[in-house]
Amino acid sequence: MTTEWFIVLSALLFATGAIGILIRRSPMVILLCLELMLNAGNLALVAFSRMVGNGQGQVFAVIVMVIAACEVVVGLGLIVAIFRRRIPLNVDDLRELRG
Amino acid sequence: MSSSILWTPLLFGLVGLFLPKRAVGWWAVLGTVVTLGLAIAVAIGFDTGTSAMQYTVDEPWISGLGVDYSLGVDGLNLFLILLTAVLWTGGVAFAAFRDQERPKTFYFLMLVAETATLGSFLAQDLLLFVLFFDLMLVPFYFLFGAWGHDRSGEGGKTASAATLQMIVYTLVGSLLMLVAAIATAVLAADGGHITFSIAALGEHGLSHGSQQWIFWFFAAAFLVKMPAFLLHGWMPDAYRAAPLPALAVFSGVLAKVGAYGFLRVMLPLFPDATVEFQEVILVIALASILYGSVMAFTQTNLRLIAGYSSVAQLGFITAGIFALQADGSDGAVLQMVNHGLVVAPLFVIVAILLERTGTEDIREMGGMALRAPVLAALFLIVALATLAMPGSANFVGEFYILNGLFEAKIVFAFVAISGVAMSAYYALRLYQQTMHNRPPSGQNQGLLSREIGLRDGLVLVPLVLCIVGLALYPQLILERTAPTVDQTVARVHGGDATQARLASMTIEEKSEVESGALKIVP
Amino acid sequence: MSATAWAWLVLLFPLLGSIVIGLGFRALPAKVAGVLGTVAIGLAFACGVAALISLLGQEPEARHHASSLWDYASVAGLDIKLGIFVDPLSIFMVLVVSGVSTLIHLYSYGYMQSDEGYHRFFSYLNFFVFSMLLLVLAGNFVLLIVGWAFVGFASYALISFWYRRETATRAGMKAFVINVVGDIGLVLAAFLIFRELGTFDYGAVFERAPETFTTNEWTITAICLLLLVGAFAKSAQLPLHTWLPDAMEGPTPVSSLIHAATMVTAGVYLIARTHVLFELAPTAADIAAFTGLATLLVAATMALVMTDLKRAIAYSTMSQIGYMIMGVSIGAYSAGMFHLMTHAFFKALLFMAAGSIIAAMANDQNIDRMSGFGKAMRFTSITFVCGALALAAFPGTSGFFSKDEILAFAEARGGMYLVFTVLGYVGALMTAVYSFRLVFRVLPGKPCPEAQELIETGHIAHEAPKNPATGEAEDTDVGFPGSEHHIAEQSAPMRIAMGVLAVLALVGGLVQIPGVDDVVTKFLDPVFEASALAHIHPSLEQDYVGLGIGGFIALIGIGIAYVLYVARPELPRRLETRLRPLHTLFANKWYFDEAIDLLVIRPALAIGRFANRVFERFVVDGLVSGTEGTVRGAGGVVRAVQNGFVRSYALLLIAGFAGLALYFLLSSS
Repeated sequence: MTTEWFIVLSALLFATGAIGILIRRSPMVILLCLELMLNAGNLALVAFSRMVGNGQGQVFAVIVMVIAACEVVVGLGLIVAIFRRRIPLNVDDLRELRG
Repeated sequence: MSSSILWTPLLFGLVGLFLPKRAVGWWAVLGTVVTLGLAIAVAIGFDTGTSAMQYTVDEPWISGLGVDYSLGVDGLNLFLILLTAVLWTGGVAFAAFRDQERPKTFYFLMLVAETATLGSFLAQDLLLFVLFFDLMLVPFYFLFGAWGHDRSGEGGKTASAATLQMIVYTLVGSLLMLVAAIATAVLAADGGHITFSIAALGEHGLSHGSQQWIFWFFAAAFLVKMPAFLLHGWMPDAYRAAPLPALAVFSGVLAKVGAYGFLRVMLPLFPDATVEFQEVILVIALASILYGSVMAFTQTNLRLIAGYSSVAQLGFITAGIFALQADGSDGAVLQMVNHGLVVAPLFVIVAILLERTGTEDIREMGGMALRAPVLAALFLIVALATLAMPGSANFVGEFYILNGLFEAKIVFAFVAISGVAMSAYYALRLYQQTMHNRPPSGQNQGLLSREIGLRDGLVLVPLVLCIVGLALYPQLILERTAPTVDQTVARVHGGDATQARLASMTIEEKSEVESGALKIVP
Repeated sequence: MSATAWAWLVLLFPLLGSIVIGLGFRALPAKVAGVLGTVAIGLAFACGVAALISLLGQEPEARHHASSLWDYASVAGLDIKLGIFVDPLSIFMVLVVSGVSTLIHLYSYGYMQSDEGYHRFFSYLNFFVFSMLLLVLAGNFVLLIVGWAFVGFASYALISFWYRRETATRAGMKAFVINVVGDIGLVLAAFLIFRELGTFDYGAVFERAPETFTTNEWTITAICLLLLVGAFAKSAQLPLHTWLPDAMEGPTPVSSLIHAATMVTAGVYLIARTHVLFELAPTAADIAAFTGLATLLVAATMALVMTDLKRAIAYSTMSQIGYMIMGVSIGAYSAGMFHLMTHAFFKALLFMAAGSIIAAMANDQNIDRMSGFGKAMRFTSITFVCGALALAAFPGTSGFFSKDEILAFAEARGGMYLVFTVLGYVGALMTAVYSFRLVFRVLPGKPCPEAQELIETGHIAHEAPKNPATGEAEDTDVGFPGSEHHIAEQSAPMRIAMGVLAVLALVGGLVQIPGVDDVVTKFLDPVFEASALAHIHPSLEQDYVGLGIGGFIALIGIGIAYVLYVARPELPRRLETRLRPLHTLFANKWYFDEAIDLLVIRPALAIGRFANRVFERFVVDGLVSGTEGTVRGAGGVVRAVQNGFVRSYALLLIAGFAGLALYFLLSSS
């Protein structure tokens, strides 16, 4: 299998994630889409690593996973906190930080 | 030594944050007194006869950009440093005798402001100067905004709105100056090694074309700060909003930073532009004198009378500098100190009157000399110094300024001197309306209140003694500042140090030089 | 001790007195303050005498000394030292000033006794004497200006001494501001002198001036005219005189000391001191002389119609100073200084007597209400008549000799200067009339209620005093004399002071009788040695003809006053109706106040209002809000991007990265 197919898949995943972030309002779904985009990145890293023939890309992918895990923890924590306060889970309503 | 003066207030301010609330005020006073002691030590150790920089500190700071941590004391800033230390001691002590809201932050900000002000006087590196110049605004933004008076009920602005307006206005000037400072260094380096050292930049010299525009960028910052005519719009609202201890030091010292900037930065760095635009600046200065005086005698608010009189006084100082004569600039430096020494006690008196009568409107005052003769006597001395009564150091300052102007541009001198007559009227009116006559009907009980107390006396009397002392011996300042000032002015005209020294001599000394009895050591 | 050391002591004592009394106002008992003040001035007079003796012990040519304490402000080529200049002229002034001041202090000791502001009064009074002595002893133009302005300030402080009286504070302000105008004239003159001669020092200036300037060159004329602005403001000459009559709001000893005997003669001293310059600028000197002449005539007409006792005497002062200014401007230096001295004696005396009468009238100064004091207050009346005789130049009195000497000099100079002689005699006639107008209105006749009370009960007790100008009750808390009134008849110090002055007013002229002796001229001679004009001397014949005419005119004047005010008292009223326009003009003081109001004060206030209402609001505020608005606007644009929608941030992010990627793609291919 050539590398192109991995890249195409990665691009498709990334686009899916990006579109998801742009069109969905639930923070939960946005978080999922973010994960999708990160994993698209991971896929590309691994694919290139295989193409080049050394393990460095794989190491990066592992680091990204760790970061993704952290991010999910924080993100979910925030979502739970918001939910506890009975604020509707809609990113368009959460805009206190506007300039 | 320069460094310890500079950082002492900040150090005390930081430690003060960890002290109990009741002690912090006196701790801050201690900080200012220590700074004052250091400043006096510097003045005593100052070598009078030379124009060279003394107490220098020069460490590379951001070496890639050619920015140095470079401090120094010479004739231009020696007495301004002393003035800063004196007025801050007075202002902080005045505040410490009273209860302040949120005292820790208040005194911390006051001390930060002192460090920033001292920094802008001490800095011998252009970027360091700009940095401290802008840093000065920060503590005053919070002091005026958070401890200020809300005037929205009297058709004015709220404290924060007035302060914001002031900050935005002065910051625009400061940012222009930042741009200009960088442009100066880059253009002077001309592809070589960049340096921001003021002395080095003065040696290089910029091309005539660049001087022309950079001159105005700096001038904008300094003129707004002073404030000069047409650019004084921030002053009335800010002065009405400011808490009085902070205003006393603000008006007493910060305005001088602008005038000092002319002598420290503009004359040495942009000599061609200075000569070229001399008359434009003089016109602005004259307009400040006349306009400030006219406004001062139509106002009824004590703060604004003092504020507009400062506009007029700073006009005199600017005129003295831009006469580009040795005596005019000597007078200007003397007058900076003098004006600081009169305007600060003036605001202290305003604060005392405000506490007693609850008003700042002179139409609602009168007859206070009856119960408070000592206060009236102190006020009288301050008022007389304000109007540059002959015999006061202020008169000597104005005399030198006007004599310089008279030699350079005789017509300007004639116009400027009419400001003297007006100052006599508004200063005396200020005194008379509050202390003399009868209290207006509707008996404000505050007008019949007691004599000035020991606490206020401790703040006011030393300041007044400074005024009296200088009146007896203004030579104290003049002989220390003259060598540097005269050299600065002489270099604008392309003269060398020997000529400058000669120009600064009296006739007898000159004849001694001619006969060979006295040698000039450059 | 040398003359300069004594001169420094002359300055020291009044200053010390002022400071000690001023600082000790709570600690010192009132009597001690009064004694201290008087003794301080007395000591200054004694030191002045010592300086005189030391000066007389030297050769006439060597009688000038300069001395300085320290460099006051000497950098950048200016040479300003704290220095004094001692020569016969300054010592002459020192003696007149400190001598008369000592007597006036003595008088004040009694007159102000029940005043709450006793300490303040003596502190100010001592400060004034210090300033005046500084003025006359100053060794350079800068110190002269300092003394000049100190004197102006002391005058302000004393005019508005009763500071709760609004008329008094306003009068003080007026005096101060007009005097500042004079100061400015002096300052500009000093600048010009420095520019041309490179020094402020008297000695050097007078030495270099004849070498530097040609006669009537514009610079020297400008210098002299600027000096004249100062001289006119201080000496109340037209058109800067309006403050002097208003200054009568101050306590009477103040009027006597400052506004009659000493300060107002500073202008005369100035011209005499700088006579070297004025002789190089004859045009300016002539302008001064004509102004003096105009003042003496105009002021005399006003003195003829004033109904306020003190103001009438004040106009008379203006008029007499007109004589002096005229004298020193045409070159009659020693005659001018001689008249200055005799005038100090008799005018101080007149004011003291007037003060005594005014005290008896409970501070009412209106002569229409006064009569019959001749019987009620014998001592005061006698001294009043002595003063009036000297003022009217009655033969044999001091004013007789001194005034005539000026007029005889003008005659001797001849030519255009004859005008001064002729019009000077016209002024002398008016002087005699108005001085005896006061005498005849106040002293003889049926006693007015106050005088009656004094005759019957021997003391005076009035209700709370009122300000005659506004009718409001005086505030005795700040030190208005209250219901006690101090008249010379009941106070020994006042009597001593007035007695001494009365004797001096009568016989003071005997020191200089033409053909007999010339003490003043001889003493002052070294000062005016180099002057060409000073060597003009009227012949003995001219002198005695002049004296004859003068004495005759004085007698006629007194006679006219007798006819008008005693023999046919209805006549003045008829004259008044007949000459209605003239009387209105005189009584309204030639409308000088109104003119100044219209030309100076109103425009200044209008400019102020315009600046305040229009300029400040629209232009200056516009600049501020314009700048602020621009900054805010720019901020608003940037802020619109920061809208708080997470997804629009994401879109921007993605678009940005996409753009970046596109750029790299395109640029790499």
